[in-house]
Amino acid sequence: MLWKLSFTGLKSRFKDYAVLFSGLTLASAIFYMFMTIAINPQFLKGSLTIAFSITQFVFGFGIALLGIITLVYITYANSFLLSMRKKDYGTYMMLGARNSKIGKLIFAETIVVGLLSTLLGIGIGIGLTQVVSKMLISQLGLHINKFFGFYMPAILWTLIFFIVLFVLAAFWNRHKLVKTNVINLLHEDQKPVKVRQHKIWKFIEAILGLCLLATGYWAMSAYQTLMTNSITIGFFTIVIGSYLIFDSFFTSVINLLRKNRNFKYRKLHSFTLGQLKFRLGDYNRILSIISLLFALALGAITVGLNFNSMTDTSMEATYYDVVLYKNNAKVQKQLKKVSVRKTDSLNYKTVLVGKGKKQSHILYVTDQELNKKKLKYQHFYQKDGQQAWSTKTITAKGVKDNHSEENYQLASLTPYQNALVKVVSKKEFNKINAQINHVEFLLVNNFRSNFNNIEKLQKLAVKSMMSNVEESSQGVYVDLNNSKSGQYRLVSSVASGFEFMGFFLGLAFLAMLASTLMFKVLSGANSDKPRYNMLWKIGAQKNLLKASIRSEIGVLFALPAVLGVIDVLFGLQFFKSLLKDPYDKIWIPFTIFLVLYLIYYLVTVKLYEGIVLKNKD
Amino acid sequence: MTEVLKVEALTKTYGKKNEKQYQALKGIDFTVEQGEFVGIMGASGSGKTTLLNILSTLDKPTTGNVFVNHQDITQLKKNQMADFRGKEIGFIFQDFNLLENLTNRENIALPLSLQNVKAREINDKVEAIADRLGIMQILDKYPAEISGGQKQRVASARALVHNPAILYGDEPTGALDSKSATELLETMAELNKNDKVSILMVTHDPYSASYAQRILFIKDGKIGKEIRKGTKTSEEFYQDIITELGRR
Repeated sequence: MLWKLSFTGLKSRFKDYAVLFSGLTLASAIFYMFMTIAINPQFLKGSLTIAFSITQFVFGFGIALLGIITLVYITYANSFLLSMRKKDYGTYMMLGARNSKIGKLIFAETIVVGLLSTLLGIGIGIGLTQVVSKMLISQLGLHINKFFGFYMPAILWTLIFFIVLFVLAAFWNRHKLVKTNVINLLHEDQKPVKVRQHKIWKFIEAILGLCLLATGYWAMSAYQTLMTNSITIGFFTIVIGSYLIFDSFFTSVINLLRKNRNFKYRKLHSFTLGQLKFRLGDYNRILSIISLLFALALGAITVGLNFNSMTDTSMEATYYDVVLYKNNAKVQKQLKKVSVRKTDSLNYKTVLVGKGKKQSHILYVTDQELNKKKLKYQHFYQKDGQQAWSTKTITAKGVKDNHSEENYQLASLTPYQNALVKVVSKKEFNKINAQINHVEFLLVNNFRSNFNNIEKLQKLAVKSMMSNVEESSQGVYVDLNNSKSGQYRLVSSVASGFEFMGFFLGLAFLAMLASTLMFKVLSGANSDKPRYNMLWKIGAQKNLLKASIRSEIGVLFALPAVLGVIDVLFGLQFFKSLLKDPYDKIWIPFTIFLVLYLIYYLVTVKLYEGIVLKNKD
Repeated sequence: MTEVLKVEALTKTYGKKNEKQYQALKGIDFTVEQGEFVGIMGASGSGKTTLLNILSTLDKPTTGNVFVNHQDITQLKKNQMADFRGKEIGFIFQDFNLLENLTNRENIALPLSLQNVKAREINDKVEAIADRLGIMQILDKYPAEISGGQKQRVASARALVHNPAILYGDEPTGALDSKSATELLETMAELNKNDKVSILMVTHDPYSASYAQRILFIKDGKIGKEIRKGTKTSEEFYQDIITELGRR
C-alpha cells in the first residue's frame, strides 16, 4: 500500500521530478563525457603526442575537480528531492507508517531515481561525446581517425561514482527523515527564521573579507616573487574571503538599501530585499562555493582558449614561412596552391673538408649576394623573463665572423645546417669547383588559414631534398620539425589539447554549478509559496510578483558571477609567465560563459514561477 | 445609508459540465451598509470560504454579481482585480499571514508600497494606524519576535493602513488565546463604531460573532437566517446566537 502511495506521490509531482531527473541526467552525461575524453588513450595519443604525461596529469586534476563539483551538485539535488517529499512522508508517518518502512521507501526512491538518471545520462553522454568530440576534433585540426563515444571503462567509472554517491545520499535521506519529528516534517516551511544579526561583528567580518580577497588578488599577481606560494596564499585567502563577503558584505549592502525609505517603499522592493537578506544568510556557503567554481570554470575556458596564442609565439621563432631546397614538379604543383607574398633566394656552393669523423662541409656564399638580398632571421632574447624575438638582417660582415649568430643562422637556412659559412667575392666563388645550389625562402599570405597546403609544400620540399640517399650521407640534414610548419603543427597540437580540455572542463563546471544554484533556489520554492500567495491576496499584480522573483533570483545568480569574474581577472595574472597575453580576446570566453549562465538563470526563474505562482490567474 | 457591499444571486459550481458537479453556493443575496459590522456563520463546508474568496476576487462566481462601492467586481480583468484587492479591501487571516522576513513596519507598509504612495506618506500612515492599534513599540521588530495577539494587530494594521472600503476577516481570532481574541474583537468593534470601518467577518465561533451587529447564517450554500443585535448587549446577543445554532 505504501509503495503504491509513494508512486502516486511521485506521479503527482511529475513536473518537479522532471526537473530533478533532467538535472541528474545532465550531471551524469557530462561526467561520462569528460571521463571518456579524459581516460580514452586513443584521444590523448591522437591529440597530444608530446605532452602526453603532463596532460594526463592535468586531465586527472580535471576529473578530481569534476568529482568534487558533482558531489556538491548531488547534495543539492538531493536536498531538493527531500524538500519535495518531506510533507508526503510526514503524512504517512502521521497516519501510522513505521519508521523502518518509511526509511526503506525513501532509500529505494533515492536509489531508483539516481540509477535511472545515471543510466539515461550515460546514454545521452555517449551521443553527446560523439557529437562534441567530432566537432572539436575538426575545429582543432586533430588527427584522430577512430573515436567513438562508447568507452566501457568510462561507463563503469561513471556508474560506480554515481551509485556510490546515491547510496550515500540515500542513507542521508533516510537518516534525515527518520530522525526528524513528524511535526517538523509537516511544518518545516513554517519554522521561524533567525532575523537579527550582530551588526558590529558583521561589519568586522565584511572588512576582513575584503582584506583577505585583496591579499589573495595581490598574491596572484605577485607570482614572480612568491612563486608557488602564490597559489597557496591565493587559495586560502580567496576561499575564506569569499565566504566572509557573502556572509556579511552583501548583507550589509542590503541593510543599507533597506534603510533608504524611498527605495524600500517602492512596489515590492521591501519584500525582495527581505527575501534576499533572509536567503543570503542561508546561501552564504553555496554562494561562495559557486563563485569559486565560477572562477575556476571561467578561468579554465579563458586560459584554455588562450593557449592558442602559443602558436603565435611558435610562429615568431622562425622568419621564413617555407624553405624550398630543391624544386621539382611536385613542389611546383603544390606551390600554386600557396599565395606567396615575397620570395628570397640564395646561391651557395659546398665543399667537403677533412677526413673520417672530422669531415665537415664548408658553405660558400658571395658577399655581393648577401648584401643585396638582405636575408632575415629571428633573434631570440628574454624580455621581462619572457621569450621574445626580433627580426635581424644577415650581412656579409656579420657572417664573416665564424662564431657569429648570423653565420649559424645562415647555415640553418640551407640543408647543411652544421656547415661553417664562408663569405667570398664573386670571383673566388666562381673559382670553387662545385655545383651551385639554390635555395628559396618564401613569405606567404594566410599562414594559418592555408596551413594544410603550406605544410604539404614544406613536406614536399623536405622530401625532395632527403629522397636522395647519397646526399644525406654527405651531411645533408633537413628536418620537417625544424621548419615553421613543423613547429606550428607541434605547438598547435599541444595548445589545442589544452584548449579542448579548458573549454570542456569549463562547460562541465558551468553546467554543474548553475544547476546546483538552480536546485538550491528551487528547494526553497515550496516554502516561499505562502508568501507569494499572501502578496497576491493583498493585491500585488502578477507581473509585480514576477518582477520581484526575477530580481531576487537575478541577484542570487549575479553575486557569485561578479565575484567569480573578478577572481578570474586577477587570477589570470598568474598565467602571465605561461602565456603571452592572458587577457587577449578575453571577451570570447566571457561571452560564451555568461550567455550559458544567463540561460540557466532564465530556466530557474521559469521553474520557480511555475511553483510559487501556480493558479494565480 | 449607502451600501458598501451588495451580493446578488451568487452561485458557484465546481466541476466541469460533463463531470460530477458540486454546487458550493446556491444563490446568495445580501448587502452590507457603510459602517456596518456583519458576521457570517456556518459549519465547515457550508460555503463560507468560497463566498469570501469570491467577495475578495480570489475566485470567480459561476453566476451572479458582487458590487463593492457600486462597482461590479465580477467583471474585472486580472490586473484590475489585483488593484481592487490592494485598494478596496483589507484582509485579516486566521494565521496572520505576515511575512517573517520583513519588520512589522515593512509588513504594514506593503499595501501602500504596492500603490506607489510616497515614502514619507507611507511612513506617516503606518505610524498613524500603529498608534491607533497600540503597536508603536513593536514596529521595528520582526513578526517572530512578538506574540500571537500582537501579530494579529500588525495584520489588522496592514489591513487598514490603506483605508479600504471594507475589512474582511477570515476567522481572525482562530489562532489566538481567549484574552488576545477578546482584545482584537474589541478593537474591531471600536474601529467600526468610531472610525465607521465596514467589516465582514466569517467565523464559526459564537463568541467572536457576538461582536457583530448582524449575523447571516449560511448553510449548504444558502443564507438561512439573519439575526440582529439591535440594542442587546454582547452577552445577550451571544445567547441568541447559541440558541440559533442549537436549532439547526
